[in-house]
Parts: sequence; C-alpha cells; structure tokens
Amino acid sequence: MSWPRRYWLGPVRTASGGMRRHKVQAIAIGLVVLVSTASATLGLALLAASNAPFTRAFGTQNGAHVTVTVNAARASTADLAATSHLAGVTAAAGPFSESVVQTQFQGQPFGQMALAGRASPGGPVDDVVLNAGHWPDGPGQVVLDGSAGGGGPALGSTITVTGVPGAPALVVVGFGDSVTNTADGWVTPGEVARLRAPGVPQSTQMLYRFSHAASYGEVRADVTEVSRALPAGAVTGAASWLAAQDQATGNGAIMEPFVVAFALIGLVMAVLIVGNVVSGAVVASYTRIGVLKCIGLSPAQVVVTYLSRVGWPALAGCLVGVVAGNVLAAPVLHNSAGAYGVGSQQVPWWASVIAPAGMFALVLLAGFGPALRAGRLSAAEAIAAGRAPRAGRGYAAHRLAARLRLRRPAGLGLAAPFARPARTAVTLSAVAFGATAVIFAFGLSSSLSRAAASQSHSATIPVRVEPFGPGGGPGQMPTPAQDAAVVSALRTQPGTRHEVTLYGNGVKVPGIAGTVSAQAYDGDAAWTGYGVIAGHWYGAPGEVDVNTAFLDQSGLAVGDTATVNTGTAQVTVRIAGEVFDPGSEPRVFASTRTLPGVASPANVEEYDVALRPGVSADSYVQAVNGALGAKNPWQATSQQDGVKFYTIASGLVSVLALMVAVAAGLGVLNTVLMTTRDRVHDLGVFKALGMRPGQVLTMVVCWIAGPAVVAAAVAAPAAVALNNATVRAMAGTAHTGIPASFTQVFPPSRLALLSLAAVAIAVAGALLPASWAARARPAVALHAE
Amino acid sequence: MGQDDLIRLDNVTKTYQAGAPPALADLSMDVAAGEVAAVMGPSGSGKSTLLNLVAGLDRPTEGTVTVAGRRIDNLSESGLARFRARHVGIIFQFFNLLDDLTVEDNVLLPAQLAGASRRVARARAGELLERMGIEQHRDDYPARLSGGQRQRVAIARALVNAPELLLADEPTGALDTATGLAIGRLLQQLNADGQTLVLVTHDAALADRYAARTIRLLDGRLAAAGVAA
Repeated sequence: MSWPRRYWLGPVRTASGGMRRHKVQAIAIGLVVLVSTASATLGLALLAASNAPFTRAFGTQNGAHVTVTVNAARASTADLAATSHLAGVTAAAGPFSESVVQTQFQGQPFGQMALAGRASPGGPVDDVVLNAGHWPDGPGQVVLDGSAGGGGPALGSTITVTGVPGAPALVVVGFGDSVTNTADGWVTPGEVARLRAPGVPQSTQMLYRFSHAASYGEVRADVTEVSRALPAGAVTGAASWLAAQDQATGNGAIMEPFVVAFALIGLVMAVLIVGNVVSGAVVASYTRIGVLKCIGLSPAQVVVTYLSRVGWPALAGCLVGVVAGNVLAAPVLHNSAGAYGVGSQQVPWWASVIAPAGMFALVLLAGFGPALRAGRLSAAEAIAAGRAPRAGRGYAAHRLAARLRLRRPAGLGLAAPFARPARTAVTLSAVAFGATAVIFAFGLSSSLSRAAASQSHSATIPVRVEPFGPGGGPGQMPTPAQDAAVVSALRTQPGTRHEVTLYGNGVKVPGIAGTVSAQAYDGDAAWTGYGVIAGHWYGAPGEVDVNTAFLDQSGLAVGDTATVNTGTAQVTVRIAGEVFDPGSEPRVFASTRTLPGVASPANVEEYDVALRPGVSADSYVQAVNGALGAKNPWQATSQQDGVKFYTIASGLVSVLALMVAVAAGLGVLNTVLMTTRDRVHDLGVFKALGMRPGQVLTMVVCWIAGPAVVAAAVAAPAAVALNNATVRAMAGTAHTGIPASFTQVFPPSRLALLSLAAVAIAVAGALLPASWAARARPAVALHAE
Repeated sequence: MGQDDLIRLDNVTKTYQAGAPPALADLSMDVAAGEVAAVMGPSGSGKSTLLNLVAGLDRPTEGTVTVAGRRIDNLSESGLARFRARHVGIIFQFFNLLDDLTVEDNVLLPAQLAGASRRVARARAGELLERMGIEQHRDDYPARLSGGQRQRVAIARALVNAPELLLADEPTGALDTATGLAIGRLLQQLNADGQTLVLVTHDAALADRYAARTIRLLDGRLAAAGVAA
C-alpha cells in the first residue's frame, strides 16, 4: 500500500515546493478566490433573502393566515377555543386580549398602537421573533414590533399610554417581529386590562392557520366560517396575511434586479480572474514541468501537481471566503430582514456550500485545461513553452510606440499588452466589469436617491399635519372646528410657503375591479413634487393624474378619458399624466373640484406644507403644534429623508460594488505579476541600461493603463445600460413606471469622471507588483530567468 | 585613487548569504582610464560579481567601489541607474537585446532613458550603427540577425551614451571563432580610440590578445595580475 501512496503524494509535495517558490502568486490566487467566494456567498444569500422572503418567513414563523378581532363581551373563551376545531383550521392561537391605545414617547405623541397580551412569543401560530431584549415578564413592560433606532424608542425607553387613568408607563424590554403584524406591541396578558380606556369594550384576537388560504376569496371564506361559529356580532375585524404579503413584497422584490445584476457581474468576474490566474500560473511553470518530466514525472502526475499547486491556495481562499461572506452577509441581512419585516434572515446553508464548492470547481476547471496541456507536452516542449511571448506579437505596437512623442518607459509600457493579447483581453474584461460595477453603483445610488426623494416627498413636503395627535383616540374624528384650526395655524405661520389639504377616499372606475384610491387636493398641488412619468401634472378642470397601477389595471393611457364614480357624483375626467407612485393599488390624483364629493370633512387625510427657504422644519412643527394645542387630534410632523428600503439598497450596492472592484484590482495585480515574471529578464536589461526605479514603475503601470482606458470606454456605456435596465426592472417589480429623470443620472462630465474608476482599479492593482519590479536589483533580475 | 584610475575597489567583500563563503573577499584593485583589463578565473571565482559591482548592478557587502571618480556603493537605486546610464556601457555574452524592438530602437533605448532628445539620440545611433557596419539592419528585429551582428548591435547600444567605461561579459562566448575574432578587433579598435574596457572572460587567448592587463580571480580573491607583453 505504501507504493501508490508515495507515487501520488510525491507530486503533491513537489507542487507544494512550487507553491512556496511562488508565494505571492499563491497568495494572489487565494485572495481572488476569497473575494469571489465571499461575493458569491453574499450574492446567493441576498438572492435567497430577496426571493420570496415573506413566504419563507411566514412558513418558519407559523404566520397567521387570519388575525380575527373579537368583541370579548359577545364570545366566551370556550366559544373561541371551539373555533380551533373548525374544518379547515390547521392551527390556532389565542385568545389574546388586545387594547388599542394612544401613546407618547419623550413627551411627544407616538401614535396609536395595538397591544396584545401574550405570555410568550412562540406558539402554534405567529411565532414572534425576538430581535432584542426579552419577552415581558411583569407589569409595565412592552416588546415593540420592529427594531430599535431611527430616533424612536430603544431598549429601556419608556412609552406613556395616554387616555387611560394614571397614564401608565411601559418600559421597552424588547423588539420583535411578527411576520403578519398581528400587533404593534406585546405586553403580559394581565397588563391589557390596565391599558384599556374607560368605556372601550374588551377585545381579544384569535390567530388562525387554514388549509386553504391562498387567495383573498379563500381567506374571506375562512373568516366567514369563523364568524358563523361565533355569536353574531362577535367578530369585529379580520386581517388577512395576503395584505401583509403585499406590503412586504412591495419592498422586497424590488431588490432582486440589482442583486441579480451584481451576482452576475461577480460570477463573470470570478470566472475571468480565476481562469486568467490559474492558466497564467500553469503557463508560467512550464519550464518546471519540463524539468519534472525529465526526472520521470508521468503526465497524470503533472496534471495532479498543477491542479494541487493552484488548488491549495484556492481551497484556502474558498474556506476563508465563505466565512467572510457569512460575516459580511450578517449585517446586510439584518437590515434586509428589517426592510422585509420578516424578523430575521440567515445565510442559507446551501449558499455556504454552493459558493465555495462552485468556486473551487471553477478553479480546478480553469486549471485543468492548461494542466492537461502541460501533461501532454514532451519534456523539451514544456521547457520551451510559455517562457516568453510568441515571437512577432506586439512588435508593431512597439515600433509605433517608439515613434510617438511619449516618454520611452511609457511607450514601452503601452506597447507591452500586445505581446500577450489573450491575457490582455481577459484582464481588460475584468477591469471593465469592475469599472462597470463601480459606475453602475454610483448610478444606481443616484437613481435610488431620486426615487426615495420622489416617494417620500421629503424635499417638497417637509411638513405634514396628520390626525395622530394627542387629542385623537380610537374612533374619534377631528371636528370641523379642529380642521379649521389647522388651516388657520398653517396660514398664519410666516414660514409657510405652500399649504394644501389632501382628501382621500375610495372611488370606482369602470374597468378596475375594487376601489381606486382618490387623492384630491383643495388647491394648487403641483409643488408636492410627484415625479411625472408621462404627460403633465393636472391643471385644467377635469384633468387627473394616475399612477402606473391605475393604467395597468384599467388598460387606459395618458390622454384617455375615464369615468369616476365618487359615491356622490359620476364625472368624466381626462388622464393628464402618469405619476410615480409605486404599489399595486390604483390611485388617482386631482383637484377637489374635479372629484366632487371627495372633499368631505371625514375624508381629510392630511395637510401638506412647503416651507419658505431657510425655515427650520422642526421649529415650524413646534410652532404649529403649539398653535393647535394639546387637545387637537391633528399633529404636525417633519418628514425624514428616505424610505428605509432605499437606504438598505444603497448600502448593499456599495458593498457589492466594492467587492467587485477589489476582485478586479486583484485580477490586475495577478496579470501584472505574471507579466513581470514573464519579463523579469527584460526588466533586468532595462535596469542595466539605466532605467530608473521611477521609470520602471511608470512602464509597468503603463502595461495596464492602455487596457484600462479601453475598459473605461466599454464600462461607461455598459454601466449606463445596466443602470437603465436595472432601474426599470426594479420599477416593474414595484408595479410602477419611472420618470426619465430617475435614469438620467449620468451627465457626460460625471460619466467621464466615473470612467476613471477603470484606470483607478488598474493602477491600484498594478502598483504593488510595479513597485516590486522597480525595487528589484538589476543583477538579480538579470539572473532570475 | 590614482589620477588616472577609472575604477577602484577598496577592500570589497560581497556575500550573498549569511554564513556562506563570500563571492568576493577583501578585494582591492584598480583600472586606469584608457586601459583594457581582462578579468579571468574559473567558474565561481567571482568574475560576474566583480562586473556587477563595477557596473552598479549590485552593491558590495563591505568596502568601497569608485568608478569615474564617484563612489557608487552608497548610491540609491535611482542614483545607480543614472550612473549606469551616463558612465557605463555593458555588453553581455548572450547580447540581451530586446526582441520586440528594432535594432535602431534597441540602440536608442539607453539614450532615451537618460533623457537625450530623440534627434540627438538618432544621430548618435545612426553613427554607431554605421561604425559597427550594421546600418542596413536598423529596421530589422534582432531575431533576424546573426550572432555577430547581434553583438555589434549590443556594442552600439552600450556606446550610445558615450560612457567612460565599457564592461564586456564574455563578449565572444556565444560566437563562433571567426565572429569572435571580429568582435575582438572591434573592441580593440574602440580601445585605440580611448575607450576604457573591462573584459570578463574564460578565454585566455582573448585576454592575451586584447588586454593590456589580466586580473585573475580565485575563490573571490585576487590570484595574480599580469601585464601582457
């Protein structure tokens, strides 16, 4: 048994010797594979995270298909318990007592919250994922839905429940996520009674999973079944998991296009770089192969030797890379889970297997061809092969460069890539992909930033007045006097530039199933800043704007007319424009004069305010709220920048672009390293003839500068096209068109500047080997061949 | 250092690896301006090390090396490169021409690296190619030339910056006898025109024929110095 072991292990040991002799190249192979594996792991994890994350989280957290709210006075605990045995019910949890309360945080209104009393986060239905802290284990404690941060409560913060005798305080002891948002917070079961306002009926919630709940129709049938099983009037409300899914996927699916784009770039980059590195390493070692063959190595042993030589550093790179990918993915997925509202997300186990295994297989595949060729070469051919560029290649380029008015080292460097056209092409591609990723990242961030600004209106509507003030409460409507007080307060504020009242109500439009959300302004609202995709903002009487979902569902186009039934009137309107308002809900925007009946006091949604230049939103808000007083349900708030999704997306884009750029830089480093090895003797000659270290540095950097300029020329239009395609694909998943301005983020000057990324990547990658070449002693270089 | 010395080595030792015997040990010698000195010795005697130190391609472990009136053992890499470009021309056994440059571009290269204008460099290169008898090959690539022609190109390249010192490492070692003799005569002619020349060679006949003085090395030490008749 010892003979075959020695027979096969010998070549591996030989290879290790070779690896030690080429430490830098081994390290470079390891690093490229590391970055590629980490990138692939992160990419796969993100793909998994963005691929139906809600469905996965719904499954793992036993999400509630239906959350039924019950008037506890009309149904006993036994009645409710009996519903868990209804046909079609596969699991049930509850009853959990519930109270809807008004809250304050740090003395400011914090809005209305539905608090459920639960003894533990787990259970057969709606397994709440605790993100931080602990579950309430005594009175005065609350776990909030979501996560800490953003200026809201943190662990240990206190929230005050208003409108309840004694204004009880609740300490935030944890944060959790319910996949179907069954409550805004959880307290101990005994706490709920204390939080109920006097006169408000006691309510409880039951959570169900059904065998058939795939559609709204099935869910309605399930709710009807439960309602029938309980005393009449017991069920006061029911929330479907499908609504929560719509909300979650509206955020989540939008990420898929750019994650896919980066994953594809990363994969192609990895193939190019690894292939270049491995074949270059094998080709650079043909002489050694020839020598080994001379002393008796068989072709199979040569193949094993060379696959081993690239395999060991690659294996190390794969192993470290998968760990790095997991480490990098953790914070990203934490944010992503927050965006999807699905509690937590982990790197799936298969991503941690497929990424390194695939990358390792890729390395071996890339190395197998050249290794096989080396194995089949005769000893004499192997010694001769790969030592220098094939005679004749690049000579014309050198002749031309010699005649240009360039410093001689620069000319020599610029002509050098033509000696190894295949290697140059692969390196050029890697740099082009890296630069494309960087330019694309900048473009996508700009596009996302414009979309965020357009969606949040934070720039155009810095202040909104909404009915969540301290004077509000469950079922309480602002009075006409309170409405008038708002208008008066806004008009008397010197900082007010524009103010407009927004009314909202459901309307019917023939051709669209269900209700269309109508947004009617009682004055000029062009300044509210909706991004116009086509047409223009409404102006003339009878004109409306609609969102993309409206056009998609109605089959109408900009310029068409539509009939709108507001409940009190039926009017014919002309569609003046399509505006950016993502989501699957059809919406129509118009003047209150165009949509009669919508502007009733009960339909006032909010008051939108634009400020005069130099006016602070916070001080304005303070002044308005002071004028409104503590008993007014209307409350002014300043709008914060950005929608959380856009912040996360921009962060992801940056991380992915950085990884791709690093991989491209390593690819350049390898190419330059291989070229310096190929040309080490020439470098010695140059030095012997008087080439100074600075000139050597210039020459070596120029080896890659030419391909980098070409890569920049390729990358710029590629990145613009990729950005356009990705933004449009993202918009498609969000059921919206996009204004042209979202993709027009590359003015020529900026594109030219960004294109320098290719040169920056190339120079950064080349500098290290170039400085090694510059520092090498000429006597050593002359004898290093 | 004597007034006429172009090269002077004082107590030079060169060790490549700690603990290993030195390639050169406490060597002191000098070469006068206008002289042809041959350095001879068996393999491993330190000939190439001596040439590398004089050419500024390497630095001594101990001792001082002075060439053309300037200490070079303490120069930076950039300083050494400038020194080589201005003061030293090197001829290699295997020519070390750059295959992807034409004959003319090979010859021009040291002048361009030293910052000479293209017009001046081309004039000087043309003059040298003519003097070497290879002007008709100026646009050819080295691979198309014979060994003797390549060595002539290498000599032209070594002389393009008009260096005070020409170092030749086995200049006829890769050539047949007749071509070797022709190259030898060319070097002799250069010396007659005042060029200082140091020949490193195994070839005793070459040394006897062309060198005024032979410096013999053995195990990194000076074995003997003889003067040709």
